[in-house]
Amino acid sequence: MQSHGIPRVAATTLDKSEQARNKERKQIIQYQALERDVVDRVKAKDYSDTTFQLTSQLLTQNPEYYTIWNYRRLILQHVFARELAADEEPSEQDSAAAEKANLPPAQHEVLLLIKEDLQFLIPLLKQYPKCYWIWNHRSWLLGTATKHLPAHSAVTLWQAELGLVSKMLGLDSRNFHGWGYRREVVLAIERLNSNGDDGEKGSGTGNMVESEFAYTTKMIQSNLSNFSAWHYRSQLIPRLLSSRKADTNTRREFLDAEFELITRALYTDPYDQSLWFYHQYLMATLNPSNAQALPVLDPCGREEHARYLEREIGSVREMLEGAEDCKYIYQALLEYSGLHLEVEGEGGEVALGEMREWLRELRGIDPLREGRWRDLERKMGS
Amino acid sequence: MDSLDNTSWDVIITGTGLPQSLLALSLSRSGKQILHIDRNDYYGGDEAALALSEAEQWVKKHGGDASENADSAYSHATISLSDAQEEGAKKLGFSRAYSLALAPHLVYARSNLLPAVVSSRTHSQLEFQAIGSWFTVTAPLDGLPSWSRLTRVPSGREDVFRDDSLDLRSKRSLMKFLRFVASYDEESEQQRMVELKGLPLSVALKQHFGLKSAAAVGPLLALALPTVSEIETTMEFAVPRIARHLRSIGMFGPGFSAVLPKWGGLAEIAQVACRACAVGGGVYVLGQGIKNAIRAEDAEDSKLRLELTGGEEVTARWLVGCPRDLPATISKPIPNQADPAEDIMKSISIVSSPLTSLFPPTAEGGVIPAGAVVWVEVAGSSSPSVRILVHSSESGECPAGQCVLYASLRGDPSYLDTAVQNLLESMGEQPKPEVLWQMQYQHHAEAEQPQNTTSSGHVFTLQPLSTGIVLEDDVLKDVEEAWRKIMGNGAEGFMKFESREGVDEDE
Repeated sequence: MQSHGIPRVAATTLDKSEQARNKERKQIIQYQALERDVVDRVKAKDYSDTTFQLTSQLLTQNPEYYTIWNYRRLILQHVFARELAADEEPSEQDSAAAEKANLPPAQHEVLLLIKEDLQFLIPLLKQYPKCYWIWNHRSWLLGTATKHLPAHSAVTLWQAELGLVSKMLGLDSRNFHGWGYRREVVLAIERLNSNGDDGEKGSGTGNMVESEFAYTTKMIQSNLSNFSAWHYRSQLIPRLLSSRKADTNTRREFLDAEFELITRALYTDPYDQSLWFYHQYLMATLNPSNAQALPVLDPCGREEHARYLEREIGSVREMLEGAEDCKYIYQALLEYSGLHLEVEGEGGEVALGEMREWLRELRGIDPLREGRWRDLERKMGS
Repeated sequence: MDSLDNTSWDVIITGTGLPQSLLALSLSRSGKQILHIDRNDYYGGDEAALALSEAEQWVKKHGGDASENADSAYSHATISLSDAQEEGAKKLGFSRAYSLALAPHLVYARSNLLPAVVSSRTHSQLEFQAIGSWFTVTAPLDGLPSWSRLTRVPSGREDVFRDDSLDLRSKRSLMKFLRFVASYDEESEQQRMVELKGLPLSVALKQHFGLKSAAAVGPLLALALPTVSEIETTMEFAVPRIARHLRSIGMFGPGFSAVLPKWGGLAEIAQVACRACAVGGGVYVLGQGIKNAIRAEDAEDSKLRLELTGGEEVTARWLVGCPRDLPATISKPIPNQADPAEDIMKSISIVSSPLTSLFPPTAEGGVIPAGAVVWVEVAGSSSPSVRILVHSSESGECPAGQCVLYASLRGDPSYLDTAVQNLLESMGEQPKPEVLWQMQYQHHAEAEQPQNTTSSGHVFTLQPLSTGIVLEDDVLKDVEEAWRKIMGNGAEGFMKFESREGVDEDE
């Protein structure tokens, strides 16, 4: 199965010659024996290193087998607890290494184990970038590190994660696992860097909102059709503006710049749905009755909302020229003019007649959604 | 090796240019006795890559006009050196630091050559590098080089989005055109294509796609690389070529559509192909050509009897070569019936700067390309433009800190230097990069050769490469036809080989 051009790795062999089938049969027997072995050991509470290595083998063959990831974590927890409770003297070189890392020996051991496991995950992640359980295990490892280790150690690990996730997103910029993980990483780094600063969230010295915003700009420029990048951008805007301590004028300038950006993108490709979602988001921030989108202009009155609606309706109307077959344009026009009617009442920017015209075009282009257009017509007609 | 005199072969191939070498490769596992000769003392024939001293010798040999070079595709060769020899001025490296390609070509990612290179197991011996960006240099006003402007050609949606020189309407119209081009050969657009095909590209853009801005035409022409002027470039010519470019982007990595073979271009592929044939038992002899056919067909053993330039007599079941390598008695001579107006003026310039701004990375985190294409207007839209392929030192063709510029034009050869100077001026580098060394020559178009011109049908003429700069799929198709004739009509597995044990790559 392919998703946005990045092929998913097929685990099945296609060659079905007799030789290949025998080979496969052997592999299956081997796999099942391995599985049984691991399950038996864990049931018997055998949390030895041998068991751990066996889970590695099993997971390399089948990373989707989430139970085995759970077992692996059981083993790791057991080992961490043992290390942290240890009474015995560490070896010479262990102490030296720990001192170098500025950590007590027990915690240093834990750090090394975590690093090793993170290493183990890398080739798996490259091969199966959309496997929930791999991302999840990584998340768990980092979370454990944050829990047991001092901030300076944990933050180094998290910084490395940022590098990794940027690389993964470079390989597939539309992998939502990557984007979700990135948000988690950024949050963790910000928390660790805020030095216990309990003041306004996002205004501490460690906030990464500017660099993250710049990152979304970069990703959008390399691929316009990126729902995740636009979405992330929209999530960052309120924090960005408060972090910049933007006043009313600055906010208005910022919003206008975003409208300019998205309009430029829409002229380049009005057939790209992700762009329309972002345009809708920008409009939603102006709508005081929209609970989902935090306001950008603060405050935004009815007047201002109506003016923006008028401006954007005019802008989108112009986009029709040369793209008369683009259903998203008509949808946007109908939505915004409907809103405008609610806000300003009739006799405003748009006549009902024009709206009916747009609806007629839309029905022609998108007959599959006839039911929806009929509903809309009924609403308009009344 | 003993003398070739009185030896007998299944196939004799004459000339080690790309088509002949690809044939040798295709036959390398066939078990046939192959003799592969070349009248030059180097490999690559018309596509050879030359060190500096070799280039100087080559120029001496091809210095006369066309009549003095009747058996060659090239003539009118000259060399000029930079006068600037002051202290600290950039200098040429030693001769072998250079590998100058006589016939540099773009190989599009979609071309049929690349899958064949993989399936024939020769790809591990070749390195292909990206040709990343395309540029235009607009004609200066009043011939003042300072007015030349270098602009990057947008070749996809994100490029168009970012291009500040395009206003919103132009972005919309350009995208509309690119979308049309991307599906021009599908059912839905066939009717439209039929209507538009005879129109000049520039006219169609304005009238049918709303692209009023003249500045948008140049970049699209650059992607199509015509040899004729703007007004003579039709939709029929331009659209399939732009489509080829668009469809090739991203195939081997983000942001680029074509590659160049490292270490001298097509000559490198020819060498690797010949090596593969030698490993398969083929015999290679340089400095020998076919002087004469003694008897076209010997009635007893139906073989060709041939005399080599060294005097040896050999027999062969099959003889393959390009027309200029086959003697008149075999390939019915069609003396350069090609229109001289089709001849291409070419130059190779070694430049004293790495011209780094022509080689930006292909994408975020992408590769650094080794090649770039520049389309230089020299004299307004009624004159053909000069095409310049720029290769950085990463291509292995020159030492670090320098570049090689390959310019070609169907028209007045003096424009070649103008174009090179305009390009260097437009780079905006201080001091202006200079040309350390330059050779100029002319490349003669080949008239179409009919196949199987002998009564026996055991001589196959391969089409030589065109005078253009894009490797066309026809080349390999022609080779396949020859292969099929030799192997028999039922033969399968053209260019498909298993890896040799222990010889090929180890993955």
